[in-house]
Amino acid sequence: MPADPAPPTADARDATLRRLLRIAWSYRADCLQLLGLQLAVVFLTVAVIALAGVGIDFVRHCADRTVPAPALPFFVPADATDRAVFVWLGAGILVAAVLRAALAFVFGLVSVRFLHGRIVVNLRSQVFAKLQQLSFRFFDSNASGSIINRVTSDAHAIRLFIEGVLLQVAIIAITLGVCAAYMFRTDWRLTLACLSVLPFQVWFAIRFSRKVRPAYEENRELMDRMVLGFSENVQGIQVVKGFALEPRVQARFAGWSEAIRTQKRKVFGEVALFWPVIDGLNRLSMAVLIGYGGWMVARGEIALGTGLVAFAGLLQQFSAQVTTLAAVVDNAQVSLAGAKRIFEILDTDPGVATEGGASSPGRFLGRVAFEDVSFEFQENATVLRDLSFVAEPGQRIAIAGATGAGKSALLSLIPRFYDPRSGRVTLDGHDLRRLPLPELRRQVGMVFQENFLFSNTIAANIAFGHPEATQERIERAARIAGAHGFITALPEGYETFLGEGGVNLSGGQRQRIAIARALLLEPTVLLLDDPTSAIDPETEKEIMEAMEAAMAGRTTFIVAHRLSTLRRADLILVLDRGRLAQVGTHAQLMAEDGHYRRAILVQSEGAPA
Amino acid sequence: MSRPPLEIAVRRLRPDEEEPDRLPLRWSTITRLFAFTAPHRRMRDTLLALCVFRAMALPGLAWLVGAIIKGPVQAGDGPATFRALALFAVFFVVADVALYWRIRLAHQIGENVLRDLRDRLMAHLLTQPLSFFHARRHGSLISRMISDIEAMRNGVQNNFFITFVSFGQMTCAAALMLLANPRLFLVLLAIVPCLLLVHAFFRGRILHASRVQQETFSRVTSALAETVQGIRVTQGFAREDTNAGIFTRLVRSLAGNVVRTASLTSLYLPLLELNAHGFMAALIGVGGWAALAGTGTGLGDLVTFFFLADLFFSPITIIGTQLSEATLAMAGAERYFRVLDTPPAWTDKPGAGECPRLSGHVEFRDVGFAYVPDRPVLHGVSFTAQPGQVIALVGHTGSGKSTIIGLLAKFQLPLAGQVLVDGHDLADLRQETLRRQMGFVFQQNFLFAGTIAENVKAARPAATDEEIRQAFRDLDCLDLIEALPAGIHTPCSEKGRGLSMGQQQLVAFARALLADPRILVLDEATSAVDTLTEARLQMALTRLMKGRTSFVVAHRLSTIRRADCVLVLDAGRIVERGTHDELLARRGAYAALHRDFLSATT
Repeated sequence: MPADPAPPTADARDATLRRLLRIAWSYRADCLQLLGLQLAVVFLTVAVIALAGVGIDFVRHCADRTVPAPALPFFVPADATDRAVFVWLGAGILVAAVLRAALAFVFGLVSVRFLHGRIVVNLRSQVFAKLQQLSFRFFDSNASGSIINRVTSDAHAIRLFIEGVLLQVAIIAITLGVCAAYMFRTDWRLTLACLSVLPFQVWFAIRFSRKVRPAYEENRELMDRMVLGFSENVQGIQVVKGFALEPRVQARFAGWSEAIRTQKRKVFGEVALFWPVIDGLNRLSMAVLIGYGGWMVARGEIALGTGLVAFAGLLQQFSAQVTTLAAVVDNAQVSLAGAKRIFEILDTDPGVATEGGASSPGRFLGRVAFEDVSFEFQENATVLRDLSFVAEPGQRIAIAGATGAGKSALLSLIPRFYDPRSGRVTLDGHDLRRLPLPELRRQVGMVFQENFLFSNTIAANIAFGHPEATQERIERAARIAGAHGFITALPEGYETFLGEGGVNLSGGQRQRIAIARALLLEPTVLLLDDPTSAIDPETEKEIMEAMEAAMAGRTTFIVAHRLSTLRRADLILVLDRGRLAQVGTHAQLMAEDGHYRRAILVQSEGAPA
Repeated sequence: MSRPPLEIAVRRLRPDEEEPDRLPLRWSTITRLFAFTAPHRRMRDTLLALCVFRAMALPGLAWLVGAIIKGPVQAGDGPATFRALALFAVFFVVADVALYWRIRLAHQIGENVLRDLRDRLMAHLLTQPLSFFHARRHGSLISRMISDIEAMRNGVQNNFFITFVSFGQMTCAAALMLLANPRLFLVLLAIVPCLLLVHAFFRGRILHASRVQQETFSRVTSALAETVQGIRVTQGFAREDTNAGIFTRLVRSLAGNVVRTASLTSLYLPLLELNAHGFMAALIGVGGWAALAGTGTGLGDLVTFFFLADLFFSPITIIGTQLSEATLAMAGAERYFRVLDTPPAWTDKPGAGECPRLSGHVEFRDVGFAYVPDRPVLHGVSFTAQPGQVIALVGHTGSGKSTIIGLLAKFQLPLAGQVLVDGHDLADLRQETLRRQMGFVFQQNFLFAGTIAENVKAARPAATDEEIRQAFRDLDCLDLIEALPAGIHTPCSEKGRGLSMGQQQLVAFARALLADPRILVLDEATSAVDTLTEARLQMALTRLMKGRTSFVVAHRLSTIRRADCVLVLDAGRIVERGTHDELLARRGAYAALHRDFLSATT
């Protein structure tokens, strides 16, 4: 599995950060709306606490008339009796609380619609669309699990940044601001005294997150190793049992499992420290409040209810916000990392794309030519060298050669899955790069070695290249491919569901559906990459008949080993380590003393006398 | 007739396939999961003690604050206030130290239990016969190991202990409030039914909504996984735009579900908080009246209740979250235990002994077998193979060739008859000891992540590089391997993808050979190697089969012609046996098969 990319440099992080901020800025209307709602919610929370404080002061005043009455809020009528005052206060708290709950509900709804309904949907669609365009090179060099992760979890990165970092910081600021404003109005000295622990808490929260996150990352890697090892052993259980490897597998697994545990233990000392420290500091500020505040109450400088008790309530709101700071720092790190991976996909050059000025010449005749083509999958591993040949429309070209000689590579250049490093490939004289890609691909039909069928009905699979195809057309293609028979024999016929949990077809049947799929588009060029390699000989016979029918009237390229196929080819390309070693018909090549003749003789030694 | 618009078709799950990701709490499963903490009982008991302490400490602290305010502070007694605050300080430091240890021990227990769960699962899986793995999707076993065990961690580490503390807190807080002022406490009691109502109304709905959300998310992930796996086909058929349209509709549908779930939780949580505020409103209203009436309710009580109320209400949201998470843990635990409770379909007999050094004599005596009861796959199969012979098995797909090999390797037990090696019944031999003397090349040649050398050494970890090269040399394929970028140290990446199918098969051959088996088992169905290489392999294999009893599920004529005995199978019976020439002369089933072979190769 390719190693994870190196940790981001400071520059790279800043670039990602700026990009995220730009994206956030484009959604500023929604963000402001949310902040406005939150502001209202915080106001109402403070109001509830303040009113409770008024209530307490009023009780004190009623019990001890020497203590001055608190200022009653605007909605309490001036001539209310003591009892009525309490009722009014209670009602006021209730109304504020109901309003607050309503606004909190609206906030939740609006934020989810915005964050999930718009941002995540947009991003996921964008990444998916881009993903499909990326060239095979991208998929060759990235593990499939990592790619899937990018679209599912990493797509949350943008949302997380906006919600968990930007909005959260703003909400913390709003809450602190409103609470502090109220407290300041009461007494600025007490406010400062109580908030003195705040800087420590902030510092601690940030430091905590910075320290712990790398440790969790390390643990995740240990987990990945265990999972990979486990997965392999399950998939290869036949090998494990066949070679009596069970004790070794158990011992190795126990090692990975223990490593995970030991590494985590080292982190726990730090992790467990977070809440006690934050909580302890909160209690400390509570003690300060009681001590200092109590002294002020004794001197009549502040009221008991609206001063001391309300302060205590507000301090609780404060500390709740401060503790989310650690989460914010965490979210920042996670979202930056995720965003970077998403941007990677969005920024990757598709590699192979329709170039400007491409024009469509309509239906092709099918004359394929390779002119001095050289090609490599990776740097310095040349797979094809100076390949040149011409295939006339309707010809059948067989490609032969030893394992690794470049046969599949040759085929993948024709539909432009890759571009050659030098030289060019032409279709009817047009350089492939000058043709619109989708059109080119629709006129080149393919049957690969391992055929992938999607979790869908048989009909949908056959119609894959042309979803609007009529039933007749689908059946026609299936008939040519020799699949119509077994399909109609199934209980649900063409509507039979394939894939996970669906019907399991044999290798031969799947291959015939794949042939039908390729035929549906009535392609001018047909590519068959060793389609019977994983098939047993009896099924191979059935498929060969299907393929014969398919090849009629199309320029066909077939990677073949079987004598029967080679004999019937119009032209045979013999590849040897990427070069065209021999070209000709079967008869011509048998007359030459080369690889080809040697291979054929070996194969036919079983022929009857 | 045009087709309906394309969607990602969804197949209705059968009831036995349904795997909910949340399950209601069940006491038996909880106790069973909890039993895994038994080996760490000292840690666990300390943790429980800390939980009890914390449950009392927090209300105690809140009460203390209230007491200080209504006492020394109200009285304006400076020195008393400071003494009380000192007590408060000592108390909260102790409480926070207790919190530290509670969190730390909970994490440690969680991690210990997880390790035990993982190891147990692995050990259990290794005792299972092959049939177990064939009956299950690979992905489901991975899920058990990762997601389900992780869900259980939450159950052990958090759900239980936090719920315990929260309940304790609520109880102590309620008790203190009752002690302080029973009249005001009645107000509290009046609120509780509202809480329960809100909870009951929402819980079922939220569970259902999050389940629908989960299902949609799985569909998104599957669609994605398929796209990645089938990218060649997608690009080959220029299907990108159609797929993108389908995917966007899926993602929008997912977003719709997320919004639906969120609209429920957005209502649920504020309503819970409303209860707390409602209590406060009632407190001021009722408390104020009671204070005026002078019936013993004073300022002090209001202050006390103000501080204790929060300790009563905030745990409710916490408990709600914990219970909700506990349903996830429950589902994970049940799935995990279901696997753990599946006994192996069969194991070696209790008295089974070690397999002695074999000479390679194999005998099948009237062997019968069926994968599914009432559908026998082998009937009365009997044959003998002398040491060093090459036995070719031929027949149509499903005639029983692979089954015979499976029985020989003791991957399954025969339903009737006996399989004997060197006269010993396989039933009396321990599986691993038997297989150590066998070598296999299967249809799917699985290679592990690692280098070619590491894969070849599988059966003999102590083999040197030179021995590995010698194995390839004996196969007459050393040059093909050395031609790779790093020779025998070339890595095979995900599922052996770094190598071509032909190269993978060569590695599998070398692996089988290095094990120096007495009995060699070959399944030739995958002929992914090109003809020239195949020819070289044939030569080498012939040399290597010397001195070993070889069973070949044969598709190549050359192999069959060289076999000492060809067994022709049809529908689970041996219909003909003999050498190639003898069988051809008979013009029977074998002759017919031979014609088919010929037409395939010419």
